[in-house]
Amino acid sequence: MIETLLSLKGIAKSYGSVRAVSDLNLDIRQNEFFALLGASGSGKTTVLRMLAGFETPTEGQILLQGRDIVPLPPNRRPVNLMFQSYALFPHMTVSQNLAYGLEMERLSRAEVKSRVDEMLEIVQLSHLSRRKPDQLSGGQRQRVALGRALVKRPRLLLLDEPLGALDKKLRGEMQMELKRIQSEFGITFIVVTHDQEEALVMADRIAILKDGGLLQCGTPHEIYEHPGSRYAADFIGEMNFLSGRVRAGELVTEDGTRIAAPVPADVMPGDTVDIAIRPERMKIGTTNLENMVKGQVVATAYLGLDLQVHVQTALAAKPLLVRMTAQEVDTAQLVEGDDVTIGWTAQDTRVFRA
Amino acid sequence: MKDRSPALLMAPALAWLTAFMVVPCLLILALAFFRRGIYGGIEYTFTLENLGLVFDPLYAGIFLKSAWIAGLAALIAVVLGYAAAFAIAAAPARRQPALLFFAVLPFWSNYLVRTYAWIVLLNREGLLTGIARWFGYDGELPKLLYTEPAVVVGLVYNYLPFVILACYAPLSRLNVEIGEASRDLGASGWTTFRRVTVPMTFHGIATGFVFVFVLSIGNFVTPALLGGGQFQMIGNLVYAQFLTANDWPFGAALSMVLIAIMMGLLTLQTFASEKASGSGRHD
Ligand SMILES: Nc1ncnc2c1ncn2[C@@H]1O[C@H](COP(=O)(O)OP(=O)(O)O)[C@@H](O)[C@H]1O
Ligand SMILES: [Mg+2]
Repeated sequence: MIETLLSLKGIAKSYGSVRAVSDLNLDIRQNEFFALLGASGSGKTTVLRMLAGFETPTEGQILLQGRDIVPLPPNRRPVNLMFQSYALFPHMTVSQNLAYGLEMERLSRAEVKSRVDEMLEIVQLSHLSRRKPDQLSGGQRQRVALGRALVKRPRLLLLDEPLGALDKKLRGEMQMELKRIQSEFGITFIVVTHDQEEALVMADRIAILKDGGLLQCGTPHEIYEHPGSRYAADFIGEMNFLSGRVRAGELVTEDGTRIAAPVPADVMPGDTVDIAIRPERMKIGTTNLENMVKGQVVATAYLGLDLQVHVQTALAAKPLLVRMTAQEVDTAQLVEGDDVTIGWTAQDTRVFRA
Repeated sequence: MKDRSPALLMAPALAWLTAFMVVPCLLILALAFFRRGIYGGIEYTFTLENLGLVFDPLYAGIFLKSAWIAGLAALIAVVLGYAAAFAIAAAPARRQPALLFFAVLPFWSNYLVRTYAWIVLLNREGLLTGIARWFGYDGELPKLLYTEPAVVVGLVYNYLPFVILACYAPLSRLNVEIGEASRDLGASGWTTFRRVTVPMTFHGIATGFVFVFVLSIGNFVTPALLGGGQFQMIGNLVYAQFLTANDWPFGAALSMVLIAIMMGLLTLQTFASEKASGSGRHD
């Protein structure tokens, strides 16, 4: 059985009349890389601050291995937070920043030194150990902040937008680095991000927050392939949306085209629905799929790995986005103005009640 | 090419300072190297006697006493001022300007008036005695006015707003998340204060201390009014040389040593804060 490390039970937080987090229930497992994903203002930082002890929930319990930690002050929690701003001590060197948390544990000087040196190796900062934070680049500061939290060997490490301040290339490298460190140390990570791609790449499981509430929780695959709502479908990856309704047991779009798709149980005849199809699930030039529509290519965008084709159809006012792999592109030779047929399977179609 | 406009902009002010501050001061200080004339005038023969006299135990003692009083006043002002600045910086942001205004309010009144107010408070039949009487105490209060503590109290009171301003600046700019990071890493509130808050705002503490010290050690109004006639600090001694003893060369020598001490401290403080800001510019 997988052991639960942390349970949030009905957590809510209000600031006056602002409800930052409401009725949040989550179980986070031992050694999990967990991502809290949400748009700006969705309550991610507030959740982390409650876990670290800087905010007291208005309601609910936070159980760490079965024990409620809400009454504990931040310095008594076996939890560490890597701040979004890094919050490094500007008057201390890199080494002193890393040593600070260990000195608080009253470890011997020798032990502090050996653990700091070890951590400097891991975050690759040994050569900069005597520098002060303002003499470091953004990426180096980020590693100091990570090392400072990690050196304490907490049971739970909280990271607030840890890669937010880095440029795109460095971010990609650091995503892999964080994953490697997490599995090497066997520490549970909760990472906050507003970047859905980052969450998909790094996390074992993702919780999507919206307006302070939990929208959906699952593995990246579950969330990507089976989004629980139109919002989640739109937020994660790219998606084509069609509006439709259920008429006489059939799903039809606004222009009357029948769509073959599994209709969820909560959709009643007469309901309006949103129909969603991923761009990479749509095929151009195939003939034997359950859904086929005619259209005209209005634009193409070459992205190296794949080609994005915008196709105007009668199904929706907006052109549909189709993603083709390099091999498909080679055989199709599409140009603007071409008449094409797009096809996709019923199984690749998602339906949400509008 | 280097932009020269800052130098040009500073030129008028520098010229003004040189013409009306630096030159007259140097002229006075130069007197220290001449002999005093028999009837109080100046005899223009070179001598080091005046400077030597400054280190005579009698006068060196007054220097030490002044330094002690100034140091005590600076220390007390820093402790009180830092606490006040800390409280103001911790108050809700929209209330801070008003609190700061009230803390600095006495600064806008006349120095003499403020000091006379303390005479009224500390007098033998003054306000403090009145309050003690009101509480039913009808013995004699210990002598308050014309004592060393009265001088220290007067100096602290007069320069406290300065310390509050000097400490408030770095305290209000402190990123609260850095304090939280300290707590997160296992430090108590007190340890966080000692190891993060104070070092990060040390610049303000040092500025406050040095300024109170420098302004106090040369002060002659407060010791004269609150310390009484017999109480002497360097400022009073200098005052006496120029205005009553008519020994301008010795007065100049005393001033020279005093100015050297002040300049030394201010230079030290400037270097220290430059070093501190070099490591504290980023949040
Ligand atoms: N100290 C606070 N006082 C009042 N409102 C707050 C405070 N902190 C956060 N909020 C509000 O709570 C909501 C969630 O904020 P936050 O947790 O910072 O979101 P995120 O990190 O997902 O961007 C926002 O609407 C924000 O304005
Ligand atoms: Mg945030």
